[in-house]
Amino acid sequence: MSVRAPYLTRGRLVATLALLAVLLAVSIAAAVFVGPAPASLARALGPDGASTPDRAILFGTRLPRVLLGAVVGASLSTAGAALQGILGNPLACPHVLGISAGAAVAAAIALVAAGDTMSPLLPLAAFAGALVATAIVGFGARAHGRTTAHAILLFGVVFNAVAAALLMLIEALASYRQVHGILFWMMGTLSTQSWVVVAAVALYAAVGLVWLLRHAHHLNLLAAGDEDAARLGVDVERARLAVFAAAALLTAASVAVAGMIGFVGLVVPHLLRLVLGPDERLLLPASFLAGAAFLVWADALARTVLGPAELPVGVVTALTGGPFFLYLLRRSLARVLP
Amino acid sequence: MTFPPRRPGAVVLVLALAVAGAACGDRLPPAAGGPPARVVSLAPSVTEIVFALGAGDRLVGVCGECDHPPEAARLPRVGGWVVPSVEAVLAARPDVVFAVPSPGNHEAVLALERAGTRVEVVHDRVLADLWDAVRRIAAVLGVPARGEQLGADLARRLDEVHARVAGLPAPRVLVVVGHDPLIVVGGGTLQDELVRLAGGVNVAADAGTAWPALPLEVVVARAPDVIVDAAMGTDAGGRRLFARLTTVPAVRDGRVVALRDDAFLRAGPRVPDAAAELAELLHPGLARTRDAG
Amino acid sequence: MTPLLAARAVRFGYGDVPVLADVTLGLARGELVGLIGPNGCGKTTLVRLLSGVRAPDAGTVLLDGRPLAAFRARERARRLAVVPQDPSVGFGFTALEVVLMGRAPHLGPFGLPGPRDVAVAREAMALLDVAGVAARPLDELSGGERQRVLLARALAQAPDVLLLDEPTTHLDLRHQTGIYDVVHELRRTRGLAVLSVLHDLNLAAAYCDRLVLLAGGRVAADGPPAAVLTPALLESAYGTAVHVAVNALTGGPLVLPRSPARGR
Repeated sequence: MSVRAPYLTRGRLVATLALLAVLLAVSIAAAVFVGPAPASLARALGPDGASTPDRAILFGTRLPRVLLGAVVGASLSTAGAALQGILGNPLACPHVLGISAGAAVAAAIALVAAGDTMSPLLPLAAFAGALVATAIVGFGARAHGRTTAHAILLFGVVFNAVAAALLMLIEALASYRQVHGILFWMMGTLSTQSWVVVAAVALYAAVGLVWLLRHAHHLNLLAAGDEDAARLGVDVERARLAVFAAAALLTAASVAVAGMIGFVGLVVPHLLRLVLGPDERLLLPASFLAGAAFLVWADALARTVLGPAELPVGVVTALTGGPFFLYLLRRSLARVLP
Repeated sequence: MTFPPRRPGAVVLVLALAVAGAACGDRLPPAAGGPPARVVSLAPSVTEIVFALGAGDRLVGVCGECDHPPEAARLPRVGGWVVPSVEAVLAARPDVVFAVPSPGNHEAVLALERAGTRVEVVHDRVLADLWDAVRRIAAVLGVPARGEQLGADLARRLDEVHARVAGLPAPRVLVVVGHDPLIVVGGGTLQDELVRLAGGVNVAADAGTAWPALPLEVVVARAPDVIVDAAMGTDAGGRRLFARLTTVPAVRDGRVVALRDDAFLRAGPRVPDAAAELAELLHPGLARTRDAG
Repeated sequence: MTPLLAARAVRFGYGDVPVLADVTLGLARGELVGLIGPNGCGKTTLVRLLSGVRAPDAGTVLLDGRPLAAFRARERARRLAVVPQDPSVGFGFTALEVVLMGRAPHLGPFGLPGPRDVAVAREAMALLDVAGVAARPLDELSGGERQRVLLARALAQAPDVLLLDEPTTHLDLRHQTGIYDVVHELRRTRGLAVLSVLHDLNLAAAYCDRLVLLAGGRVAADGPPAAVLTPALLESAYGTAVHVAVNALTGGPLVLPRSPARGR
């Protein structure tokens, strides 16, 4: 464990976040110049830049995609950190609780109904599906006016399985090309979206982050158990539902535009926890920044390694995040178990 | 995180196709008992070929997507191209079943063979597959001469299309088959061959796979003159996808055109029609010729 | 004097199992009250009801005259602090971070402690002789150090009422009395009202102003130690014979269990 002050000082918080922010800024700037199509900044900024493909490539297609990757990565990573905190489970991630599954089912139905992957119905349906799934899991897990972490986890996993079955039903009934579209969407892809879409996701990300930061220290207290947290002044029910809802909102916005990109919400918070310690007031904003950088690089890789064809970014995050997560898990197991 | 669980048996699929492929080339039509009278087609392209060979009356079952020619729409259904119904096929008591490999039908094919049904597998990936399919289906059905004639006819019409565009400047073409993610026609496909036949240059032919997903920046970089939208979806969706790429000639000159005719996507007897239509889209002002056949 | 914390005719059971039948007691400012009684008589349950973690099936708990249920968790935590019997803490936090968690009900919306909060926490740790382990992770500390850290956390809440559930289980002799010396002081200097569950009747007798004897889900006795620690009451409550002598140091009662089998 790294050497650190006996408590989280404002100075340490600001310094760590500033460092991560710089890392993110550099990543974004660098990633704009990575891609299968050659593009020169000089030509793009030149006098007749508007007519060159360079400007269109750098600022028209790559920049919005890189920024989308950043906000999606930030959202998924923060949602994962929040869920791990609220459920006290290192395997919690946005996709395991059924939120993304709900989005996938809704998007699949919308795709079959609209018949066009470019239909604006798809992201709207995905968003709505994610929120409906959240409501079902959140209220389903409620008993006697209380929602325990255990109940949410169980309900979420089962809901996931049911949603998977629904999705298979839709795929069985849909045409081959629709199925191909659904599958590809679910693998998680970042594409060039309009600036309006990027701004919308960024807004959700910012709102979600601030919402979560207000409950960050509640998460610290909840780590000691519901009763202890209640004794220290935490309204446990409210805090748990608020965090769950914020995590769901972040996930919904991301999945609606990018499908299910896995491992960002699992690996990044976990790694940060090992390096920065358990304090959620630091972990949540750190996950936001680090998750953004991670996805920016993963997408840079996804669109370059097979050039000119691209890999779904979900494949890259899984193949880089997965083995790394196994390694991290081994390390933390070795530490916990003597 | 894998979600949903992927179908197991990818290895089995490869082996099955290899076995089926190996077996295909050596199968002989039945010597005794006459040509098959009851035929089941598990692919739309096969159905069209059977009708083109004049043997449409022998079809006793077709897959759900078999919608051409119109008579085919009235035939009994035996499941889908992706997953046919083994029971429905067996209930039709076919003498021979024609199948094209699909993502889900290898188990059905194996099941039918185990049940003693004769299954002939043909392919639909490239133009050579079309000639092979016509020849073999004709041979199995006992009308080899008709097959020769059909093959020659199709080849002649394709040559005509090619001749009409020979000498014309070849536009750079991108053929889109999926909007989001953006999936295009790559090299080594029937559609790629048709593009070349229609006098165009496929900008994605070097992408390494048959149906690559492309980041939008590659479209900008490759700057196609024509974008052919063969994707499922609406024209508005396609245009919205490319609207902002004003440096791309196809967008700038308003040459994002729709080609939603499924003849373009099937290795069947309407391929020359599709080629002709494509040629006209790629070379505006090309005089329309009536189909002789 | 109106009690700061009071239970009125409280009844509670877990499902069909009744634990507390009819409990009425009060805790006034500046009092150190000991809650004693045999195992399983509901002492811990009563503490949970008094701290607001669970609500009674019947009856009310009042904090400063208002029903406890009417308090928001945060407001309640500023008035009332609890040191539970078997606490667990989040993995990886240092002792100081844990004590700082006690400042939670006083912190702003983003939960970051200011210099004053840190000062209060450090002061509480000094009072309980755990200032030296401030920077060490809690899970590395001994059971006794951990218990004192948690008491420091409760003090950091700056409460008016302090509830302790057997705070001396893991403590050695020195620290057992040390804790109660601190608590005793605080009730005088800060006017804290303290209710402590105790196993050790002599420790209870030495420090508490009042004892409440809980037996069979009811209050069997409520008064100064000399009045409560009588053989009759103790025998009927604990079901074992006792001899009550005089504590030479304090002049109060000294309880010694008898052993008729061994002729004593």
